[in-house]
Amino acid sequence: MSSLTEILKVLTETNSTSGREEAVRNKILGFLSPYVDGHRVDRLGNLIVWKKGRSGKKILLDAHMDEIGVVVTHIDDRGFLRIEMVGGMDPRNLLGSRIRFLNEEGTCGVVGVEGETQEELKQNLEKLSFDRIYVDIGAYSKEEAMKRINIGTFGVYDSHFENFGNVCISKAMDDRVGCAVLIKLFESLKETEHSIYGVFSVQEEVGLVGASVAAYEIDPDIAIALDVTGAFDTPKAHKRMGMKLGAGPAMKVMDQASISDRRLLNKLVETAEKHGIPYQMEVLVFGGTDAAGYQKTKSGIPSATVSIPTRYIHTPHEMVDIRDVENTVKLLNHFCQEAFD
Amino acid sequence: MYLKELSEISGISGQEKDVRAYISERIAPLADEIWTDPLGNLIAVKKGRKGDKRLLLAAHMDEVGMMVTRINDDGTLSVMPVGGLRPEVVVGKQVMVGDALIGVIGFKPIHLQKKDTEKIEWSNLRVYCGFANKEEAKENVKIGTYVSFVTKFSENGVFFSGKAFDDRGGCSVLMDVIESIDTPPFDTIFSFVVQEETGLRGSAVVAEQVKPDVAIVVETTTAGDVPELEKYRWATHLGDGPAITFMHRGYVVDPRIFERLVSLAQKAGIPFQYKMRTAGGTDAARFARSLYGVPSGVVSIPCRYIHSPLSVMHRDDYRYTAELIKHVVETGEVIL
Repeated sequence: MSSLTEILKVLTETNSTSGREEAVRNKILGFLSPYVDGHRVDRLGNLIVWKKGRSGKKILLDAHMDEIGVVVTHIDDRGFLRIEMVGGMDPRNLLGSRIRFLNEEGTCGVVGVEGETQEELKQNLEKLSFDRIYVDIGAYSKEEAMKRINIGTFGVYDSHFENFGNVCISKAMDDRVGCAVLIKLFESLKETEHSIYGVFSVQEEVGLVGASVAAYEIDPDIAIALDVTGAFDTPKAHKRMGMKLGAGPAMKVMDQASISDRRLLNKLVETAEKHGIPYQMEVLVFGGTDAAGYQKTKSGIPSATVSIPTRYIHTPHEMVDIRDVENTVKLLNHFCQEAFD
Repeated sequence: MYLKELSEISGISGQEKDVRAYISERIAPLADEIWTDPLGNLIAVKKGRKGDKRLLLAAHMDEVGMMVTRINDDGTLSVMPVGGLRPEVVVGKQVMVGDALIGVIGFKPIHLQKKDTEKIEWSNLRVYCGFANKEEAKENVKIGTYVSFVTKFSENGVFFSGKAFDDRGGCSVLMDVIESIDTPPFDTIFSFVVQEETGLRGSAVVAEQVKPDVAIVVETTTAGDVPELEKYRWATHLGDGPAITFMHRGYVVDPRIFERLVSLAQKAGIPFQYKMRTAGGTDAARFARSLYGVPSGVVSIPCRYIHSPLSVMHRDDYRYTAELIKHVVETGEVIL
């Protein structure tokens, strides 16, 4: 049984953008297979695992496997690459960081900015866009570059996992931390009254693709999405929101894509209070989670989101507090037993 | 090829009936089953040799255009766009209002415009049909009447030009393919969908009716290969063959389908290019979110000036797209 930080390290350091989830899917399955009754990979690549219960009720718990990234769209005569974003990536986060491509050799690329004069460079930096940056992989010609990489090759932030004190920092905490919660949850579930389905979904970052269909054949009674949410407890952070790092799992009331089912939300809060698990309430004024996909599946599945507060989301250095992660596992463990009480 | 005839029919999102009638009449004798669904999608099935898998092909019948929103006191008409249409591209163009009325889209004459300050917006464009006053206009036009482009198809050297190539190009390719194939290996569904331009609406209900295993969307896509833009900003280039998409808005194409499309083209010696921009979505994003999730691919004919009264397409790109799609159907290799 691996520790939570070990799992987080392995999952966040695995490189899998939206649409290229195979590598992380294999890692997740490796951790989980001793603790589930079965698994399958659906047509879109969602990994679905389950533990059967006796009651006939089904609970679906979701975390998305994909991470944001970039994709190569052009290779010029001198071997420089042009890229566009996969999911919500701000080009400013690429400056000063490296890109690791998902090709065979795992090409490393450095990001540069166009600018033929000091003034133009300054302007380009101020209004940075993907049209003004390039990636240098150290190739001296198109031919040399094309031997190593192709148009349509995906890439991610080149970043690594760190753990000190109570916090962990890495790329792709969004939403490998949710995946880690699910892994620890299935490890901790003994005999379950209700059937528990874990969905590790694909292509959340480009528009909730996997979660729009994952429940179609499961037909669960309820669905809970686990995802990150912004922690705005840093100097002069967004002043309309108050989620904090280390203050427990966040119970999402609403974001731009969904409003959590009120009964589920109440049950989650009640479960946290009953078992003395710290929690906080969340309203996110932007963003969305897979819960929006489940709500619109078939005749509608009551859905909610439990979030792990995270700083610096969608940068190479997303920060979570390990206690929040552990408390989320605890909360869900109780919820899985008591959801229909 | 039916591009000339198809492009000259008016079929803005929501009023695809004439396009549908044209296609249906010609392919009905070739299909094992054909129906129009409640939303207006035309669906034709060609039975395969093996009954176990189903391949869905889709092209959208609708084109962008305008709709009358107000009849003004002076007898002119105000309009809004239907689908992604910029007001800058319609100024001074002749249009068809409803089925038979010709109109012109007017804007303040160039010599009366204040330099660099006059913005072309839908709110300051009018359609002039020559009505003397509001009453006369009201007798002939209603709020909600469609306003469409009237460009005739022409061939200029290696180029086709005309309106509505997006996506009558795809419709024409599907018609060519259903005409030219024998019994395919798998059940193949040819769908001609409605209301793509207003948000992938028609395609939302197609998968439910035919339960496909894989979908291939045949589209017409932007080129942007103009001299003012540097090459790395081009989406596609006319004359380089069908564009194969690895990702677009809202969906990363299933890597297995993407790779099989590429290798099919390579093996058959069909020229192709990658779609080099990821903006813009297609019905593939909808199919992926339908039912149990239908893995989808996208092949497009590159086209300059789409979403305007006139677009330009290279005849070889059309031909090679039709060849590639025919090959996709005949080999069944995209079936996972």
